[in-house]
Amino acid sequence: MITDNFKKNFGDINFFGKQLRIALRNCGMINPEDIYDYIYNACGYEALAKALSDMKPSEIVEEIKKSGLRGRGGAGFPTGLKWEFTAKEQNFEKYVVCNADEGDPGAFMDRSVIEGDPHSVIEGMLIGGYAVGASKGIIYIRAEYPLAVERLYKAFAAARKEGFLGENILGSKFNFDIEIRLGAGAFVCGEETALINSIEGKRGMPRPRPPFPAANGVFGKPTLVNNVETWANIAAIIIEGYQWFSNIGTEKSKGTKVFALAGKIKNTGLVEVPMGTTLREIVYGIGGGIPNGKKFKSVQTGGPSGGCLTEKFLDTKIDYESLAAAGSIMGSGGMIIIDEDSCMVNLAKYFIEFTQSESCGKCVPCREGTKRMLEILERITSGEGREGDIEKLERLGNVIKQASLCGLGQSAPNPVLSTIKNFRNEYEEHIKLKKCRANACEKLVNYYVTDKCVGCGACKRVCPAGAIEGSLKAKHKVDLARCIKCGRCYKTCKFGAVKKDSGILEIMQ
Amino acid sequence: MTSPKEILQFKKEKAKEILESKGFFRPKRVYVGLATCEIAAGSQSIMDIFQSETGNMSDVFVSAKGCAGRCNLEPTVEIVEEGKETVKYVSVNEEKARQIIEKHLKKGEIISEWVVK
Repeated sequence: MITDNFKKNFGDINFFGKQLRIALRNCGMINPEDIYDYIYNACGYEALAKALSDMKPSEIVEEIKKSGLRGRGGAGFPTGLKWEFTAKEQNFEKYVVCNADEGDPGAFMDRSVIEGDPHSVIEGMLIGGYAVGASKGIIYIRAEYPLAVERLYKAFAAARKEGFLGENILGSKFNFDIEIRLGAGAFVCGEETALINSIEGKRGMPRPRPPFPAANGVFGKPTLVNNVETWANIAAIIIEGYQWFSNIGTEKSKGTKVFALAGKIKNTGLVEVPMGTTLREIVYGIGGGIPNGKKFKSVQTGGPSGGCLTEKFLDTKIDYESLAAAGSIMGSGGMIIIDEDSCMVNLAKYFIEFTQSESCGKCVPCREGTKRMLEILERITSGEGREGDIEKLERLGNVIKQASLCGLGQSAPNPVLSTIKNFRNEYEEHIKLKKCRANACEKLVNYYVTDKCVGCGACKRVCPAGAIEGSLKAKHKVDLARCIKCGRCYKTCKFGAVKKDSGILEIMQ
Repeated sequence: MTSPKEILQFKKEKAKEILESKGFFRPKRVYVGLATCEIAAGSQSIMDIFQSETGNMSDVFVSAKGCAGRCNLEPTVEIVEEGKETVKYVSVNEEKARQIIEKHLKKGEIISEWVVK
């Protein structure tokens, strides 16, 4: 079995033993710069040889369709259908594209796959090219991943030398080669039509669909676009067969999904689990729970397009449908764990700030809407929230979702809408009581000195604004009018005498 | 006409020969993580140490690998010996790397407190 190698080597560790690695089967197992390691130790190019020897292109499409594999870039469109649409197009020139424009903050699955196992992506694309009748492949990867790009170039050179890329591959009549296009790091270029524009040398802006890329893609030719993780699954499916793959996962979502586990969690890292695993198993099982005895507050999936789920959703089984039903999305696989020290309003502001600056500006709802949402959130987090702001955010969010052209705008309000849904009381506290319960919103937080103060003067010395008063060996005092809320006194005090709190002044001094 | 499968079989045999000539089948195989994340954690200097200090050891083969996804414990080093459980050292630094060479590779003592559970 193709997944056994990893299990044999790493299965004794809690963190890895609970995972099932298909897309990441060779990551950390082989030398990514040595094609012979891949060929000899990782069943390398066996799937390609099997496809070229024993299968017709239509049979491969059928195999992928039956496997139930869905797009791992986030939207979850059935991969086999996409292949079928592209294969049906009558055109002597077609393109196969690998979307490696991984832009979500905190996600690094695609980078790890390419850096750890570049040949499995190349092999997947070769099989895809053979199945849909394409002879040109393009990997669209961001320039921020120089090592991944370098390894891809090395892998291409080795594959060409061994006859896996080029003409008459493995003695067959199939010709295929791959080139790289570097992206400049715009988030919107992960959207497939914007990505196609960018490949063509135009500005990375989405196009209306239809026509879909399967009919009218790169330079007007039929184009098959799949994500890195999707491509990494292909060879495994061809070798092991669709039955094996479709037995893993839930009814509608088959196989495994890689998540980049980050945030306030003991074991951060890459996690590949079968679909249908619960969030609780990931957070407390593989992730090992929240460090420093803090309380779990929320889990954010899907990056800037996803939502924040609370504790009551922890038993949600991970698949495309149930995550959507819970108010988040699968997305490309970022998973950020949030503990009680984080402010949900601030978090929503962070994500809107991201999508607002990454909006390409083509359509009004996204360009203007995210800007207005950001303004409202900035007001709320700086203590100037007004009655009716929450309702305004909800209305704006819904309009942006419905009226935007591409996935960026359609999903940009998700972090705000889901935090309003699940943490409405925090928004209300910010607006009505000027209180941030996590003490994370700088402008709402006030510092004060308690009776524990021994009068050592350490806080006074580090205060850049001269806002701390008090003579030596006497209790000090923070002058709130002069305080710039940098928090240095709080960090400096060895006696835990400096406290911070927010809300309408109740306890201050 | 030879089928693609047969050609691949031929290439596989060739791959084995090439790996053999590189020393891949030596009794002890050391994998050092060299992905962007591992390098950021300092694995390049560890790789250099392993390469230079095991250069004259005929039973050790040192290889790079990608990242297995254990972010908070990087840099990671694995030692694979045929028939034995793979030993996985984590949070390796230069000092630890030298000790691993001295104790594990030369004397066969596993330094269990640096091994991940």
